[in-house]
Amino acid sequence: MPTAASSEAAPPRSSRINKRVLVAGAAIVLPLIAVLVANLGRDPHMVRSPLVGRPAPPFSLQPVGGGAPVRLESFRGKPLVINFWATWCVPCFEEHPALTAAARGLPDVQFLGVVYEDEEARTQAFLKERSSAYPSVMDPDGRTAIAYGVFGVPETFFIDAEGRIVEKFVGPLQRSTIAELVARARGGRP
Amino acid sequence: MTRVALLSIALLSLPAMSAPAEPPPSASRAGAPRGAPLSGPELDARTDEVGALLRCPVCQGLSVSDSPSSMARNMKAEVRDKLAAGYDQEQILADFEHSYGEFVRLKPTLRGVNWLVWFGPLLALIAGAALIASKLKRSGSGPDALPAPWSAAAVDVPDRGTLPDDPRLAEAMRRVRELAYGWPGGVPPKAGASA
Repeated sequence: MPTAASSEAAPPRSSRINKRVLVAGAAIVLPLIAVLVANLGRDPHMVRSPLVGRPAPPFSLQPVGGGAPVRLESFRGKPLVINFWATWCVPCFEEHPALTAAARGLPDVQFLGVVYEDEEARTQAFLKERSSAYPSVMDPDGRTAIAYGVFGVPETFFIDAEGRIVEKFVGPLQRSTIAELVARARGGRP
Repeated sequence: MTRVALLSIALLSLPAMSAPAEPPPSASRAGAPRGAPLSGPELDARTDEVGALLRCPVCQGLSVSDSPSSMARNMKAEVRDKLAAGYDQEQILADFEHSYGEFVRLKPTLRGVNWLVWFGPLLALIAGAALIASKLKRSGSGPDALPAPWSAAAVDVPDRGTLPDDPRLAEAMRRVRELAYGWPGGVPPKAGASA
């Protein structure tokens, strides 16, 4: 016993330094872990856009294949789903059936595709090849995409009947997600 | 007293006047142009300057002016149109911020947590210098304060003729010294006593 006590008499100095290092390390690492834990449950596709909760930026765009310009105001009164897409974008290709099925299954909701940096002829061929249940409009120079703060495609905005953006979704959509977010856009109506 | 009250009312109503809660749903959210419409070489130069303050959303740390991406080109075209229409730099940056968030500004504005970005490194530098200074002060100053092992008196500096206790090793070192330094018998000329 006494030998153990004498061997323990030396280290307190170094163990005190270790404790200090430990505290400093914890002060750096713990906030990082806290941030990680706080965001663990968040869906990375639900991007916090500064536009969420604000009125959707207005636009007036030419439909694919020609016709009268499509204006945002004309959709007032029912929920609107605006999907930014392009024919060169593989995830857009993947989500197209889900969007088409949702548009067919939800007649009280308006769906609109905004073509992002693509050619009209190619878009027309794409839409002819695969059936589409909703109109798509061309966005020359990407001005509408910039107004909506689009980073890339596909990005989808869910807008309530008052024209307010309720949610922004980044990446390919699935039917269940569309249903869930459309319900939220419907809930925006008082 | 009334002057103070008036001043505080004026200050309180300032944000309400300068930042309308709801941007007007017109084509441009920036309101009426505040500057003079630009054209010609001045427009080109200002487009580059304002574009350099905007982050290209699809790039890695590139400004709109520096990026060759089509998105940056579109944004630059919009900056150009707005400058030509007479919008000033702050109106244009605020308009992009409205869509993309503060992320789009390459120079974060001096408000809120951003103070940390601007002055954090300087504060860290001062704190580090203060820490080092206090440590040096606590351990005293000058060469006398150096820890014991470093003071010349405490260090057991071996003589150049010193040999290890192991006789075989000592013999080997003697031979090496003889070969390397030309000392006869491996004994240094002046330190014969120690060998």
